[in-house]
Amino acid sequence: MKTISRSKKIYLGVGAAMLGSLGTVAIFARAPFTDAQIAEQQQELLVVVNKGRDLWHGSLPSMSTNGLACGNCHPDAAASNPQTFPKWVPQLNAVAPMREMINWCIVHPQNGAALDVAGPDMVAMEAYAAYLYRGEKIAPGYTIPTPPIPVKSGVGYPFKPSGIGVDK
Amino acid sequence: MSESKDLTRRHFLGLAGQAGVASFAARAIGFNLGLVELIHAEATKGAVTPFSFAIITDSHLFSIPDHKFDRALEDAVAQVNALSPAPDFVVYTGDIAQNGREDQLVKGKGILAKLKVPLKVIPGEHDWYLDMGKTWNGLFGKETWSFDHKGVHLIGLNSILVKDFWTGAGMTPLQRMSTMEMLESPIAGPWGVREAQLEFLRKDVAKLSPSTAVVIFTHSPLWDYYPRWNFQTEDAPQIREILGKFDHVVSLHGHVHQTIYNKFANFSSAGALSTSWPWPYPPVVLDYPGSQMNQSDPANTKDGMGTQLVSLNGSSGGVVTYEPFANTLTPWLKDGVKV
Repeated sequence: MKTISRSKKIYLGVGAAMLGSLGTVAIFARAPFTDAQIAEQQQELLVVVNKGRDLWHGSLPSMSTNGLACGNCHPDAAASNPQTFPKWVPQLNAVAPMREMINWCIVHPQNGAALDVAGPDMVAMEAYAAYLYRGEKIAPGYTIPTPPIPVKSGVGYPFKPSGIGVDK
Repeated sequence: MSESKDLTRRHFLGLAGQAGVASFAARAIGFNLGLVELIHAEATKGAVTPFSFAIITDSHLFSIPDHKFDRALEDAVAQVNALSPAPDFVVYTGDIAQNGREDQLVKGKGILAKLKVPLKVIPGEHDWYLDMGKTWNGLFGKETWSFDHKGVHLIGLNSILVKDFWTGAGMTPLQRMSTMEMLESPIAGPWGVREAQLEFLRKDVAKLSPSTAVVIFTHSPLWDYYPRWNFQTEDAPQIREILGKFDHVVSLHGHVHQTIYNKFANFSSAGALSTSWPWPYPPVVLDYPGSQMNQSDPANTKDGMGTQLVSLNGSSGGVVTYEPFANTLTPWLKDGVKV
């Protein structure tokens, strides 16, 4: 897998500098991303989405002690509804982001160890669900059961998965 | 409420203290109290002597000792044993095991052995693909069968057969099994009963008259519900064609882990609650949206699961009464689903 160098990732942010003595303002901005750069960034996202798919299907043993994986109840991330978070989560008795609900499911139905809410595994978990639900209207709050996102073929995103599912 | 309904209800509530309090208390909520009367009312219409049987399915037992799914199957067995009147037999429509392991299938057979009535079994993909049914066949016999009971012809088929995706890929049996375990796996391809069973079916029904009441059991539904999750059977059109001569066919299946009903041509089709976990409903517009159960509460380990009672009447149809462990059913479902 081709990786993006750190120097490429870090572009000059929007810069604004005051030329004080003259009282004038000049705006410095980075150049627009090239198509190649955007493609590389998208590929980086898909790497994380793919990791998330594997995590949803049991690639991290610490997430479960009873054999259940997220995908048991949520094939194609069905009924996860990332577009509805944050919302009131009855299990947590609070308005919570999706990552807290993910951890609730890991700890309770799966009887596993919660993920670091700010860690890369959780980012991957959210990325997989969010990617499959891309295009859905953001609608925080309770919704009546919403249908899953139709996935026509493959894994639901333009990436050849590896490992889980034995698709090599 | 009639006396018989009251008696039935009291019987169930009386059992609540004996085994699985949560199961039986919840069961009373969803119990179709009109069932007994329906059977009697329909008794004289046809050649079928009214009777009932129960369906248990999709227990997905793990090898882990004292797993919560073990207890769920035990609850299902206790629930069915408590039915009054007792069903004539039980049909298990696949997926006793989660990973196809012998210890899982043996554990399931041991729990199901506590049933007080005879048991017929068909396999699911989770039972099969570790050793291609060798252990399952050793424990449960042939996966393709038929028998007659009180005027009804009942058929069981193995609907989870896929084309060989493992030999060319050089997969181990464990890799083959794990590939089949994932519902949305893009690798295995569609399921079917395949030609040998189609031929069995042709011969099996050749001499039956069109007025014969027929009930067919498969793990997967015999209609294109949601192919991505194998909520379908590839050669279902051929099955429907072979059975097309009958006035009415009741098709009952597992795999979907949810209440679902459909009707097409001479078929009435109903899916079964699992004892393990509920699948979400796929993105499909249902012809009978009322057959969709309530969204299950993940905090309630009993919600969205249960067993079902099928009561066949004298006119070749019947009623599927879902018997949830918890309050899963909508009003549409609580009255039973005519099939």
